[in-house]
Amino acid sequence: MAENTNVTYTADGAEVLFFDIGDTVYGIEIKYINEIIGIEQITVVPKIPDHIKGVINIRGKVVPVISIRKRFGMEEIPYDDRTCIVVIEFEDGQQVGVIVDRVHEVVVVNKDIISKVPDSKSVNSNRYLKSIINMESGIRLLLDCDKLIMD
Amino acid sequence: MAKFEAGMEAMADMYVFETTTLLEQLDQILMKTENESSFGEEEINEIFRTMHTIKGSSAMMGLDNMSKLAHAIEDMFYVIREDNPVITSMETLYDIVFNASDLMKAEIELIQEDEYTATDFSEQIARIKAYAAVLKGEAAPEAAAAPAQAAPAAQAAPAAASSAAPSLTSVKVYFEDDCKMENLRALLVINRITDSCSQLEYVPEDIETNGDTAQIIVNTGFNISFAPADGTTIDAIVDIIRTTPNVKKCDIIARGSGVAVAKTVSGDMTSVRVYFEDDCKMENLRALLVVNTIKEVCDSVTYEPADIENNMDTCKTIIEEGFLVNFASDKPQMVLQTIESTPCVKSYEVIEDDAPKAEAPKADTPAAQAAPAAQAAAPAPKAEAPKAAAPAAQSKEQINNTIANKGGGAKQSLISVNLNKLDTLVDLVGEIVITEAMVTSNPDLKGLRLDNFQKAARQLRKLNSELQDAVMSIRMVPISGAFNKMTRIVRDMKVKLNKDVDLIFEGEETEVDKSIIDQLNDPLMHMVRNSMDHGIEDNVEDRIAAGKSPKGKITLSAYNASGEVIIVIADDGGGINPEKVLAKAEKNGILTRPASDYSEKEILNMIMLPGFSTNEQVTEYSGRGVGMDVVRKNIEKIGGSVSVDSKYGQGTSFIIKIPLSLSIVDGMEVSVGQSIFTIPINSIKESFKAKPSQLVKDTDGQEMIMIRGECFPLIRLYDMYDLEPATDDLYEGIVILVEAEGKRACLLADELIGEQQVVVKPFSPLLNNYNVKQNGMAGCSILGDGSITIILDVGNIITDF
Repeated sequence: MAENTNVTYTADGAEVLFFDIGDTVYGIEIKYINEIIGIEQITVVPKIPDHIKGVINIRGKVVPVISIRKRFGMEEIPYDDRTCIVVIEFEDGQQVGVIVDRVHEVVVVNKDIISKVPDSKSVNSNRYLKSIINMESGIRLLLDCDKLIMD
Repeated sequence: MAKFEAGMEAMADMYVFETTTLLEQLDQILMKTENESSFGEEEINEIFRTMHTIKGSSAMMGLDNMSKLAHAIEDMFYVIREDNPVITSMETLYDIVFNASDLMKAEIELIQEDEYTATDFSEQIARIKAYAAVLKGEAAPEAAAAPAQAAPAAQAAPAAASSAAPSLTSVKVYFEDDCKMENLRALLVINRITDSCSQLEYVPEDIETNGDTAQIIVNTGFNISFAPADGTTIDAIVDIIRTTPNVKKCDIIARGSGVAVAKTVSGDMTSVRVYFEDDCKMENLRALLVVNTIKEVCDSVTYEPADIENNMDTCKTIIEEGFLVNFASDKPQMVLQTIESTPCVKSYEVIEDDAPKAEAPKADTPAAQAAPAAQAAAPAPKAEAPKAAAPAAQSKEQINNTIANKGGGAKQSLISVNLNKLDTLVDLVGEIVITEAMVTSNPDLKGLRLDNFQKAARQLRKLNSELQDAVMSIRMVPISGAFNKMTRIVRDMKVKLNKDVDLIFEGEETEVDKSIIDQLNDPLMHMVRNSMDHGIEDNVEDRIAAGKSPKGKITLSAYNASGEVIIVIADDGGGINPEKVLAKAEKNGILTRPASDYSEKEILNMIMLPGFSTNEQVTEYSGRGVGMDVVRKNIEKIGGSVSVDSKYGQGTSFIIKIPLSLSIVDGMEVSVGQSIFTIPINSIKESFKAKPSQLVKDTDGQEMIMIRGECFPLIRLYDMYDLEPATDDLYEGIVILVEAEGKRACLLADELIGEQQVVVKPFSPLLNNYNVKQNGMAGCSILGDGSITIILDVGNIITDF
């Protein structure tokens, strides 16, 4: 059941950080995640797409920040003290911050409950998803970082 | 990077770097000697060593073509060094060497690309070999006339013998004990030399078909009689025989003429223990390099530890016990020299040496007699070679001396560092500076009286600024590298244009950031070419008539002035005729004002406007223009500027101003709503509050500001960037007149915040995907309070507008 999901497994399963966007729980594989910081002053960069909110200063590095809500075409909500920026680092060293509503925990997910995203004819649906995680607490969606940020 | 053998890729960078540096050194030496039109011993040795290193490292990288080309040059210089021939045509020699150097440089460029196929240098190699042969040929009679010159005499003797006596040479070949199938081994020998011989006989004859001959060969040896074909020598053939696998011994029984020149070259082994420089790393590969390089000059090489290629642990053994090489050669001296010149070899000692030289005919030449004397005169001054063996002591003493000198005189005080690491360091320091500001002006400290804290903070600030200076200075390299490249261009053009020109450097020790130097090469080259081509008069008579020295002069000078580096390229040529430039500009429709309004300086600088020299030969005006706008663009790309100064009839100067460093910019911070932008100071002309009387609107509603009778378009930054300004009232905000690439415009911001040096940080690739650069943003930077400012690229804003 776990084949072709492109997820990296350790011996126990895949380590995934879960977070909320609205009512849905999403996950990102831990290997991408550099750190999680609270929301901070974002410097606006003009003339870039809406979902890129601007840049922040992380210890002297200028890191662009994107809003998942905007990316998914959802309404943005005011930032509060639970709003976080999940800093993702790609293999080439490039860092990108992702604004999420609130962060849950890191869970080691057994590979048996990870399944492929069904192919969809609709162009837009599922395009940022990597796989679906069927937990006891409910269905959670694993995001594909490359598609989420680069496409 | 081209694909190298596994494990070699890591060294490829180093190889490219080293070889490029060596080739540049080579050019410099050549240039120097060409000026003096003679080679000193020092220079020949230097070239020899350079080529040798390139040969060795290329072979190690598996680049056979490079290695062979370097080898050919090395051989040629070996002839020059040993035979000391009269070089009749220096020009040909220089042509050959320069050409080879160019080819190798081009090859290095190629290697750095993904798809790399080795270029075939065989034609060039043949040319070099042919020329080396010419040199050698001329050397022979001279050497014969001067028997005191031991080495050339020895070399010349067999050559002379072979040419004088075409009769057969007989050799007896023995194979290694127990190698089995001696008859087939013998056949292999025959097959290998067959092409090089015009006549060939051997006993026993039926080796191919008769297995019993194997025993005969074991007992009595394998007799070959041959005559070398044209273009080869007896020695060469003997060499081939000796290098055939399993051949133990090859005795020359009778040399061509029948004169018994009993040259016993046998399995006599010389053992050398080689030590490498401390901390040179990868001793096993270095050792392999030694083996590979001497293989070319020896007959058989064995070494210990044997598994250096595959076993990294051998490093330790080599460090502790040295690297033991056994080789057989009739020229042990040359082999030792080869070992000596291999990179990173610190010292070596000869353990035993049955120098075959003793049996060689030159045994009774003065050189051998001089040996004991020399030995006495140099009573083993180094601990490194305590037991240099007697017969070959003289040569080794010399070599050891050179090594000792090398080690003592030029202590290695330079290291090469990957530029990325330096970038990281600069970044870190930038962060520290910012963090310092965050700590010392922390809002939590407001209202507190902290005398000791303030004292410590001041100390911290001082140290930080020293640290910053120190780190920046690491990235600084002298501009001499860029200047030296021009020597080559001038040299080539001198020949081509038939103009005699001196190139003079001033202040070449001035230091500039490495990344800037890299971008300076092209513009410099362009301008020096222009000076050579159009600046210096075509006819010497013209120069003399103008009261100048017949020899032209181009001066490259560099100096520091207020945080900028100023580079001047001056020639004493014909200068630029402003009237002709003006006429030309008028014709091309560049003028925007009546011709009489232009100052001379403005006119001269027109030659750098795009579209000035679109057609027609500007050269006939002795004006420049060809590509000058390109030069200007390149210089501006690195934040610099170019201007021209010329006195008609007396010469022209180009003045380049470049910032010391790319990564730090003097900027003016301005605010637009919540955002802070940094405008580089060098593009700001002035800033002021606009008055209603200055505002002009054209028919499209485009706003313009009138300053001293000139109109400039007004760009409201908040409009351009869709920001919410503090005020949209033109007269409340501040107007900044900026200039880039010869165009001016007014920018409207809310207010000026202040002037500050900022560390430029490039945008993340994610943002670069969205053309931030084309939208006039050059990069960003972090201010003392941790907030981010966007650095504007005025050039892009103006051109896009």
